[in-house]
Amino acid sequence: MNAFPPMQTERIFVPFLDEVDGTLCLPADATAANLESLRRPHPLRFPLFLDPEASLRQQIEASTHAPASCRFGPYCDNILGMNWRLPSGRVARIGERVVKTTTGYDWLRFLLHSGTRFGEPIDYVIRLRPDCGFTLTARFEGESKALADCVPKLLQSGWMHWWDSVDMIVEGSGRHLRVMVHCIPAEAPIFASQLRSIASGGSGVALTLHENALPPCDGLPDLVCKTTPDRVLRLANDLAAKVERVVALCYSGVVHLHLKPGPDLPGRIHELALSVAGELHPLGGDWHSRWLPSTPPPLTESSWIETLEQAVHGS
Amino acid sequence: MFHLDGKLIDLPPRSRYWYDLIPLSLKPLAARLSALLPRGRVLTSAAQLAAYGADGLGYKNYLPDAVVLPADAEELVRFMRGTKSLGLPVVMRGAGTSLSGGPVAVQGGIIVHTSALRAVREINAEGFWCEVESGVTLNDLDAILKPHGVFYPPDPSSGPVCTLGGNVASNAGGAHCFRYGVTSNYILGVEAVLLDGSVHRFGGPAGGRGPWREDWKRFMIGSEGTLAAFTRFWLRLLPLPEKVWTFRATYPDLRTTESAIHALVAHSSYPAAIEMLDPRGVAMVESSQMACGLPEGSFLLLVEIDGPAALVDARVAPVSEILRQAGALDVMFSEEDTIRKKLWKARKAAGGLLGQLSPSYVVQDAVIPKRALAEVLQLVYDEADAAGIRAVNVFHAGDGNLHPNFLFDSRLPGDLEKVERISKRLMERVIEVGGTLSGEHGIGNDKSGYMPLVFGPDSMRLQLAVPAAFNPAHQMNPLKVFDCRRFAS
Repeated sequence: MNAFPPMQTERIFVPFLDEVDGTLCLPADATAANLESLRRPHPLRFPLFLDPEASLRQQIEASTHAPASCRFGPYCDNILGMNWRLPSGRVARIGERVVKTTTGYDWLRFLLHSGTRFGEPIDYVIRLRPDCGFTLTARFEGESKALADCVPKLLQSGWMHWWDSVDMIVEGSGRHLRVMVHCIPAEAPIFASQLRSIASGGSGVALTLHENALPPCDGLPDLVCKTTPDRVLRLANDLAAKVERVVALCYSGVVHLHLKPGPDLPGRIHELALSVAGELHPLGGDWHSRWLPSTPPPLTESSWIETLEQAVHGS
Repeated sequence: MFHLDGKLIDLPPRSRYWYDLIPLSLKPLAARLSALLPRGRVLTSAAQLAAYGADGLGYKNYLPDAVVLPADAEELVRFMRGTKSLGLPVVMRGAGTSLSGGPVAVQGGIIVHTSALRAVREINAEGFWCEVESGVTLNDLDAILKPHGVFYPPDPSSGPVCTLGGNVASNAGGAHCFRYGVTSNYILGVEAVLLDGSVHRFGGPAGGRGPWREDWKRFMIGSEGTLAAFTRFWLRLLPLPEKVWTFRATYPDLRTTESAIHALVAHSSYPAAIEMLDPRGVAMVESSQMACGLPEGSFLLLVEIDGPAALVDARVAPVSEILRQAGALDVMFSEEDTIRKKLWKARKAAGGLLGQLSPSYVVQDAVIPKRALAEVLQLVYDEADAAGIRAVNVFHAGDGNLHPNFLFDSRLPGDLEKVERISKRLMERVIEVGGTLSGEHGIGNDKSGYMPLVFGPDSMRLQLAVPAAFNPAHQMNPLKVFDCRRFAS
């Protein structure tokens, strides 16, 4: 083996847009509008936005998933690389600009939702997808049980791969099921027909289709709970009575909770989190809130964290 | 009877009594291992160990001191608890199909073969997850999942034999990763056993962090056996696609092939797979028993689209038009299972066929931005031709995941050095164009020397902090991933 000598300087990403690979390097504080202006000359899109006003970094810090994670996976499957500022102030390159890598330990996925303990992102390399030019938003309305019955019909067939999102939204006493489709205009009637067929199979379910409506904008969630897809609707229902708005990302098994603002918001979030933690943790699920600090780690984890902290501080 | 250097020795009853009184730490290795694995198997004979000397990277051989096969997860935990007193390297191994020199005992020591951990413990089709032990093979899992209407997408060519443990350790990919992604996209949870015998569940069916503050499973996936032993996983599943169309298109040169790939990756049909065989790869398949009438003398693309029939049938004409417009000499497509399976069998058997053509071969695994495909492939041909080494390219074109295969004879003086020189030049260029060393095979001990091309001083420190947290003495799989990971017993 011809070993190479150690590199003296850190390689970092410089801003780029690769329209062939569909990859874009942009600042972590870029918003949907910034991204839109960068990608506009090319038929590409980044489907995982939660809130057009918030920066990409704020969105990633708010949740691991967005509605379009149903089709494209969580943020960590759509962020390929980062320029990362270490606590020492130096910048390290994390991850790659290509879509596959097994080169070394996966710091990218580890750091992405780890908060600021190990540093902070400066730039992201994101994966874009083909922009097919047409969006169909389906709104299913009806009784709670009838809507819930539509979910397995949407998810448990090969069609599931092609829904951008399948979300149950509960707001006050009202609820609806929202399905997003992104396709070429010629395929829209095929998707519309399948959606109508699912709606007509549910008793008393009404379907409205909106063409080229703006993508869903639920805003940044205050609390995020991660469970399994088969438990997500029950969890959403249980929590709906206690909050303003609940968005259940049905395939991802994620519940986004939006609470009324107020000085006691962190306290209310903490109370909600404690009420579900016992159910989530045994399943390997979790909760997270952008308003609350991380809970202290158990003893075993502390020693691992300490070792990593020494490395990021450069000692 | 007891084992002494791999031989069974029968002792008279009186001696057996005295033998029992000898402290275990002073007994031969086989006896100490047998005490740790009363229900499992311990292999120490030269013939048995020879089978574990290499992985898919066949020309590098390292004999272990012993091989153990724990009977179940409980016994694996018991073994791990005893490893400190053994003072030897511990190397986890699934089917040994790794192509990077991963599950081999470079510093000697004990290979732990997980073939007995092969239960599929739970399938929850409604929740889109299943729980499997680490020794389950990929094709067995596929067959078990199929009646439930779900599947686990990663599909390395070694599917009939490779294990989930090996797949997770090397973050395996496969032909259909272009749309479906690699192993790390589908691991919801990992049960890991550390060297002190402590058992930790990172994640689970819900795929989150569980009670931990950090998402430790992220480090476990792709860690190449350097952090922990894996006993079971929770996998994310998808519903089976209803219908599949496979396309075969041929091109006269690299440039036109590359333009077809560029057009396909941007297309709204989202192909599941975009694979390429170069003319040498096609000729190799056609001169074997896998021959399936591939047109020889041209670059071949194998493309697959899948989905509901109503959708995917409407995409056949646009996809074939894209292939033609890019300059195809010939486009063929089929929905028939027999034709499709024959094409895929040829594609997936290509790796095995290389072994028939040459006493030794190395397959590289670099990933590059797709705009550089033709240029980097030309570099492979030029460098290999100049050195008199045969190069065959069969790879995942949609991901830009190159697999240049270099055929040589490691017994001939200078041949291996030539291949190493070509690989070195290739890897330098791969990094220059913005690529990376490995997409799905892992680093093993084959590519560890190239790691300084990728990691600068700060990122290297971060990388080495991960084994420092979980396996600071590098007792687990030493000299893999990073050259400096040497175990000092």
